[in-house]
Amino acid sequence: MDAQLKRGLLDACVLAAIRDGDSYGYKIIKELKPYIELSESTLYTILKRLEGAKLLTVEAAAHEGRLRKYYHITESGLQRLRDFQTEWKEVVSVYQFVVRGERHE
Amino acid sequence: MSKESFLAELEGRLTGLPPSDREEWIAFYSEMIDDRAEECGDMDEAVRGIGTVEETVSRIAAETPLTTIVKERIAPKRRLRPWETVCIVLGFPVWFSLLAAAVAVIVSLYVSLWAVILSLWAAELSFAVCAVGSAAGAVSYFVSGVAAAGVMTLGAGSFLAGLAIVCFYGCVAATKGTVRLTKRMAVGVKSLLLGKERAR
Repeated sequence: MDAQLKRGLLDACVLAAIRDGDSYGYKIIKELKPYIELSESTLYTILKRLEGAKLLTVEAAAHEGRLRKYYHITESGLQRLRDFQTEWKEVVSVYQFVVRGERHE
Repeated sequence: MSKESFLAELEGRLTGLPPSDREEWIAFYSEMIDDRAEECGDMDEAVRGIGTVEETVSRIAAETPLTTIVKERIAPKRRLRPWETVCIVLGFPVWFSLLAAAVAVIVSLYVSLWAVILSLWAAELSFAVCAVGSAAGAVSYFVSGVAAAGVMTLGAGSFLAGLAIVCFYGCVAATKGTVRLTKRMAVGVKSLLLGKERAR
């Protein structure tokens, strides 16, 4: 898969995982597991990138006697998800056209 | 391996990263291990779930830009003494030329590798062009009434077309293999630069 395309997909996946509520690293990986295999290091890089782009914010909170980082989606992050959905509608329609072409062969 | 041993070893293998980055990676993996342990109820199993230190370093290397590692590696860890500065300046013609030669050797080896791939594609293209040319030549022979030469040219064209098809898959496999090798080499070099010594 094209690296740029994959990056966009992974960013959207992580943002979608925290859309309905704050979440933490391990929970994000578990939630995405049925859809895409994500290593800890890849998730870390994505979270840093999204935080740098102000698409999410990070806050440490006490949990079971230790600190755990919680990720919260920002308004820009929600907007990015909406943009992604619009863009992908076009991609899906192109894909359906390509698949239809193959069926006719 | 215990969580503490894993994190200590990992930290020792990340000395090529700026200290703040290193601390953040360690804190991230520490949290990941704790969360895994909370779920499975066994700290050792949680550590095993992360993978070996070697695998973790390779994954971190793959995610870290080479420039970050090189900057950290070449940055002086302490203020240079006057005599050290003098040595660096006076030794510049020697160390710089050696460094430039080493870089040139590495770059030339890499370029040679891609030159081989380029040659394979050139050969593939020549087979395909010759096949098309032979087919056109055969038609021309048949039209001119020289059937024997036409049949021979058509046979040669068919052979070249077959060769082109077979070689096409070989070229694609060689190109993909080289791309994979490049990625592995990049991760290997970055893992090496990340460091093997213990963190200070």
